[in-house]
Amino acid sequence: MLRWLLVRGFTAALTILGVSVLVFAAIHLVPGRYEDVLLGPFASEKLRAAVAERFGLDRSLPEQYVRWLAAAVTGDLGTSLTTRQPVLAEFARRAPVTAQLAVMAGAFTLVIGLPLGILSAVGASRRGVRAGSRLVGALGLSLPDFVLGSLLVYLFSRYHLGLSVGGYVPFGQDPVQNLRAMLLPSLTLAVFGIALLVRTSRDAVLGVLTEPYITAAVARGERPFEIVRHHVLRNAAIPIVTVLATYVAYLLGGAVIVEKLFTLPGFGIYVLTAVGNRDYAIVQAGVLVAAVVFVLVNMLADVAYAVIDPRIASGRVLVR
Amino acid sequence: MNLPQAIPLPTARPRPFGGDVLTWFAIATLLVLVVLGLIGPILSIGGSSTAIVGPRLSPPDAMWPMGTDSLGRSIVPRVLQGLGTTFVLATGAVLVTAIFGTLLGIVAGYLGGILDETVVRAADILFAFPAILFAILVAAITGPGAPAAVASIILVTIPLLTRVVRASTLVIADRDFIISARVEGAGLPRIVVAHLLPNVAGSAIVQATYAVSVGMLVEGGISFLGLGVQPPQASLGSLLREGSIYLTIAPWVALAPGLLLAFAILSVNLLGDGLRDSLEPREVRTLQ
Repeated sequence: MLRWLLVRGFTAALTILGVSVLVFAAIHLVPGRYEDVLLGPFASEKLRAAVAERFGLDRSLPEQYVRWLAAAVTGDLGTSLTTRQPVLAEFARRAPVTAQLAVMAGAFTLVIGLPLGILSAVGASRRGVRAGSRLVGALGLSLPDFVLGSLLVYLFSRYHLGLSVGGYVPFGQDPVQNLRAMLLPSLTLAVFGIALLVRTSRDAVLGVLTEPYITAAVARGERPFEIVRHHVLRNAAIPIVTVLATYVAYLLGGAVIVEKLFTLPGFGIYVLTAVGNRDYAIVQAGVLVAAVVFVLVNMLADVAYAVIDPRIASGRVLVR
Repeated sequence: MNLPQAIPLPTARPRPFGGDVLTWFAIATLLVLVVLGLIGPILSIGGSSTAIVGPRLSPPDAMWPMGTDSLGRSIVPRVLQGLGTTFVLATGAVLVTAIFGTLLGIVAGYLGGILDETVVRAADILFAFPAILFAILVAAITGPGAPAAVASIILVTIPLLTRVVRASTLVIADRDFIISARVEGAGLPRIVVAHLLPNVAGSAIVQATYAVSVGMLVEGGISFLGLGVQPPQASLGSLLREGSIYLTIAPWVALAPGLLLAFAILSVNLLGDGLRDSLEPREVRTLQ
């Protein structure tokens, strides 16, 4: 178990290292040098050299990378070009909005998606159930968040249906108004997740239902509900956990779109605005943070595998 | 003498998709949409996409069946043009993904070793970036535009396809027919093309179909954020972006391209499901 976790942790660290190299290289592919962006075209050569020296831009690329990585590890993600604030502090102010969005969307996804998926698998022999769940799953996966969000913005702001569009206030300030403002955005993000989970849990449960121990349970006369609870859930859990972990990547990206649509002051909209301002420290840090969060969540999923099925950690069964 | 009867050969080839109505519906819809999106702008179906035909932001009417936009142009030809752009960008990008992803997946899965390890790690690294944030990073480098959209789609879809093809390759890499081909002296290109490719083609085609729908989602998303296709070019995402300003007073400007995009993606996904069911059949049973 411990050895397996160490191996997975090492892989995750390797992935994060690769991510950081890619992000660093990407930002260095951006045309235009930092001195030019900062000082404009008419600054003297001496001033340029001074700025380059101050930010370590006169050193070799590998050296710059190591210094940047070391700073990032200690929490120094650079300074915003437009506001002169440390990027980390700006992120910390906006992260709660995005986190609340992700948690609410994730909760909707689990509470609605999982039961629907299991039910549609257990009733899979009925033609209507099969076609219906396939259509609902495909519909949810096909409706882009920006289309669904636009539709909701239109319906709720045109016909005053009770939930506010925009008008975000922090939860601590006015919990009711906060939830009213967050409900539509989180539902917009949840629809994709629900469809994804319905489809995955359905496939996973269908896969388990063909196992001999299910036949044995049916032969013993156990009721369908008991079979699902005792024999199916745990055995179908691995692919469901995998998909939930990848859903986090969707949440982080979808947050950008939903925050823009519903004007929420979150992490995503901040990074998006930074592209327009050519504020690359924020873009670089934002993409890095999102990718690191994703890798860490997937590492948690690895731990969950070992808890769900101890054979995985002992190396007797291969995941994926 | 009582010889065992030979099993009669099936007289007709089994129907593709076994009469699966939903899949046929998806194929028909897709054909219509692709033809409309590609031919529509050439034949100017629904009128010219640049001519001003009526009052601004006018609701649907006989002359402009989907309404007019903020300049008084009919929305129908604009939407068809956008549909064509979206299809071309998504399928073009996925074509690149399919070729490189399939090759990489097969070679990595078959050869194993350091190469395989590198490909898997690289796929993990690309996979760690949320699609939209990846697109933001790409747009920051190349500047907003169609190339940013295409590059983002390739980078987002290639790890998915490579992983699936590699996994399918691993299953057959040590089968007897591969080993005997090697014993006969077949070189790497021959084994890849003649023996491995036909066996992983099914799952590659299914994944590539889903990748097209992912590509349309990504293109729509980054064009909606203003980082993809730029005016005067139009894609469904950029049209939705233009319309989102007038959402409360003229919803058709945003919803026409939006719902059309959703419908197109739905057709691609249903086609993918149909292909998956017929190329990778699974056993189904119940709890009775």
